[in-house]
Amino acid sequence: MATQPPSTVSRRSLLAGAAGLAGLTLAGCSGSSGDATAIRFYQTKREVIPYIRELLGEFHAEFPGIRPIHDTSEGTLNGQFVRSSPPDLALQLYNYEMARFQERGELSDLSDLPEAAMITDSVKEQLDLYPSYPGRLSVLPYSMMSAAVVYNKEIFAQHGVGVPTTHSEFIAACETFQDAGVTPIYGTWADPWTIAQGLVDYTVGGMVDVIGLFQQLRELGPDVGPDSRVSFSKVLREPLEKMLTLLPFHQGDANGRNYGDGNNAFANGQAAMYLQGPWAVVEIGKINPDTQVGTFPLPMTEDPADNKVRVNLDLALWIPEKAKHQDEARELLRFLARPEIQDPYNEHALGFGVRKDAPPVTDERITQMQPYVDRGAVFQGVSQGIPTNIPFYNYCQDVVFGADLEPMLARLDADWARLAKRA
Amino acid sequence: MSLTSSEAPARTAPAGLRPTPKRRPDKTHLFFLLPTLAAFTLCIALPAVMGIFYSFTNSVGYGEWDFVGLANYELLFTDPAIMASFWFTLWFSAVTVIATNIVAFLLAVGLTAQIRARVPMRAIFVIPMVVSPIIIAFVFQFLFARTLPTAARAVGFGPLEDSILANPNLAWASIVIVTAWQAVPGAMLIYIAGLLAIPGDLYEASALDGAGPWKQMQMITIPLMASYIVINVILTFKNFLNAYDIIVGLTDGGPGTSTRSVAMTIFSGFETGDYAYQMATATIFFLITLAIAVVQMRLMRRKDQ
Amino acid sequence: MSSSSIDSIGTTRRIPTNRSKARLGKDKYNLPLTIVLAVCTLAVLVPLFVTVSMAFKTGAQAVEGKAFSLPQPLSIEGFVEAWKMTDFPVSFGLSVFVSAIAVAGAVLISSMAAYAIHANWGRKFFKFAFFYILAAMFLPFPVLALSQIKLSGLVGLDTPLGVGILHIMFMLGFNVLLLTTFLRGMPHELEEAARIDGASTWQTFWRVIFPVLSPMAATVGIFAFLFSWNDFMMPSMIISDPALQTLPVVNQLFQSQFSSNYHISFASYLMAMAPAIIVFVFTQRWVLSGVTQGAVKS
Repeated sequence: MATQPPSTVSRRSLLAGAAGLAGLTLAGCSGSSGDATAIRFYQTKREVIPYIRELLGEFHAEFPGIRPIHDTSEGTLNGQFVRSSPPDLALQLYNYEMARFQERGELSDLSDLPEAAMITDSVKEQLDLYPSYPGRLSVLPYSMMSAAVVYNKEIFAQHGVGVPTTHSEFIAACETFQDAGVTPIYGTWADPWTIAQGLVDYTVGGMVDVIGLFQQLRELGPDVGPDSRVSFSKVLREPLEKMLTLLPFHQGDANGRNYGDGNNAFANGQAAMYLQGPWAVVEIGKINPDTQVGTFPLPMTEDPADNKVRVNLDLALWIPEKAKHQDEARELLRFLARPEIQDPYNEHALGFGVRKDAPPVTDERITQMQPYVDRGAVFQGVSQGIPTNIPFYNYCQDVVFGADLEPMLARLDADWARLAKRA
Repeated sequence: MSLTSSEAPARTAPAGLRPTPKRRPDKTHLFFLLPTLAAFTLCIALPAVMGIFYSFTNSVGYGEWDFVGLANYELLFTDPAIMASFWFTLWFSAVTVIATNIVAFLLAVGLTAQIRARVPMRAIFVIPMVVSPIIIAFVFQFLFARTLPTAARAVGFGPLEDSILANPNLAWASIVIVTAWQAVPGAMLIYIAGLLAIPGDLYEASALDGAGPWKQMQMITIPLMASYIVINVILTFKNFLNAYDIIVGLTDGGPGTSTRSVAMTIFSGFETGDYAYQMATATIFFLITLAIAVVQMRLMRRKDQ
Repeated sequence: MSSSSIDSIGTTRRIPTNRSKARLGKDKYNLPLTIVLAVCTLAVLVPLFVTVSMAFKTGAQAVEGKAFSLPQPLSIEGFVEAWKMTDFPVSFGLSVFVSAIAVAGAVLISSMAAYAIHANWGRKFFKFAFFYILAAMFLPFPVLALSQIKLSGLVGLDTPLGVGILHIMFMLGFNVLLLTTFLRGMPHELEEAARIDGASTWQTFWRVIFPVLSPMAATVGIFAFLFSWNDFMMPSMIISDPALQTLPVVNQLFQSQFSSNYHISFASYLMAMAPAIIVFVFTQRWVLSGVTQGAVKS
């Protein structure tokens, strides 16, 4: 990220010049390239950076007057808004951080774009997980991810295990693997997010109406507590207790393994199941293209009709109000949203389409989830509904590492109420 | 120091003070001062006022915000994460002040005695002061995480066989050790200056009275060094309250949040949208710093009189 | 408290020997105490020795993680890798740039401000300015950080230049205090003589005041360098572009990645520490006296 848009550079060098120090501060900027307007495009989903970079090249070839600068610096987005220098366009995960930008009116309205009308209703509903800004469509959904238990088809077949559709079948499958000396589930608990988005989201999502939970919690606001009619303590206790019973089915050193270790281990057939999403499936495919991977929703009840897959808006496009090149940014946005660009991207990244005319997924590693998506048997991760200033991922890690569940849930309730009081 | 108290200027009236001319101040003098004053206002005073202002809002650092009155203040006092970081910082500072000053005082006494190689030894003991805190913390992190457990295993000393950095009950000790390691030279030099200012005949006289070294320490050195001890305790305490670099290098606030300092808590507001909330933490932190400064001035004034 | 203490602390030649004799009796040197202190120096030397020793190991030897084994064979592999990974010329250059601003600012801006305040002490405005600047000694960076991040971004100073300016400003109060006190000890006649020769205020400052101030300004400058060069907190919070970070911040990268390539990380630590240690070796007497000056004044 050694590059800055020229406008910033000129502003900086002006100040530097005033201080008699011009030149030295220019160390980080790239040379200008003709008359093209440089726009900063922020995108940090690591797995697809090279792919997106090529798309940007195609765009520049078609629009030589606009030069997109690919900003992939992780963790700097919030700072860019605080410093009043947000990117011109971003293609990012739609999460709580994003919701703060939209809630505070920092993102421009995209509802006038023809592309906005093409988004399916079920995808639009997913925007309701977070507070929005009245009268605006702040983000344009781009790619949806469905996630469920990732399993190794070969290992399942070797041990004569079919895809479980009830919780007891799932436990039985785990026991079969364990008895045969095969690790049933590969855990990567050194990375707290893998616990929160895998174990926790799957177990909670299989038993709880997540959007409904957050709508009620938001209504209660500061009144959430041990005695309120809805609370984390009341709703999450049962699914998380059930989650804890799954821990013995993980390998012994799960505490010290991270996401990278997990992808390697699973790609090399070291475990039957892996509680991850399609992003990991892409990585596994890179490590060992021969792995036979499939997906199924984690059954949490004895009724197969309760099974759902986890969905999230993996990528959405948005343009900040303070973007310096709104028009050019819109040009790039519309380029990326073209069906002939968007659909191959989703195919590449194992994403599901968000447009009414998007084709169904074809990759056999994820096709098993298409029926659930089609009939709306989906849930959003509970981990995605909790604001990031509550360290929920760390709480999850504590519990998995052996901390008591009830104090953690009580603390979560208190954190939620405290946050609501100053919102 | 006494200059900062209001009635002080009269007492410390500059020796070279000339009768103040009645004409307007010299333009060059204004040129020397005014730009600096303006920059200072923008860099220090404005952020201070801005911080206090935002602490009464619900700003996340950008975009629209509202006033929330004292809500941030009310809540931070019941927020276990913030309170824990205050207690950790105060407690860690107190322990490190004691450790630093005892070691520095003893070294200063040793280095002012009749020893060989005094000059090179002094130079060696000052080195920790000039190395980057975070870099030396990285070096110590290696020693604590790798070398110490290996050594403990070799001699079969159970408690240290696992890295103390990963132990929520012991990680603070590593921070105390490295912080003291770095802070000792500064305090030591001040003690050396103090020791050298004690007239030698005091010791001679007491030696004639038959006082041994321990008696001399009790009767002469410690009473005469009292003001230096006060200066050092205050200076080191003020520095330790801002602890950040060394903690980042050693534990990064962990394990869990067991070694998170106030500075780290405040900085977290920049990433998480707790902008206004942590501004309130910063304001409370400022009041604590100010209270310590007031105590400092009181003590110093007593010393002057 | 000015020049005499510089001598006594800095060179240690004038140490009163009679008192120690009185305490120790007949021996000229206290040998047991010398040995005890020599052992204590290990607390300082061992971490530095480990740094140097690890830095010169080969990758194969470093990965064992043995702190006290000597490099066998000597290798500069770690330095070569560290040079590339930290983009050393750039991060080193930026660190030098930030420190240079901090030092130049600390010496010049503080001296000029101190002189202006000193010369106009009778005027309310200058006296007010003095206490105004001093008050900032009670505003540490963590208190101001969140606002400063926002403001520096707003005016495009979320850069090394901005950090250099902040370094000057955070040290200003202390430096002005030191320098005004020093100026008060200056004979008034010096300035008067220059005036009578018809020198302007500007000329008087450069020809008379600044040379007189220079010992104290040197101390101020060296401390500004050490503070600025070693600082991690301000650059890590203020500089927005990771590619423009200073050496202490860049060295953080060894915490997450390449964690067992100790020869690389320690070579990098050594390259970051060495300049400050070298400056210290050449400027010992100002460093040693400076601490004492500061303590007595603050």
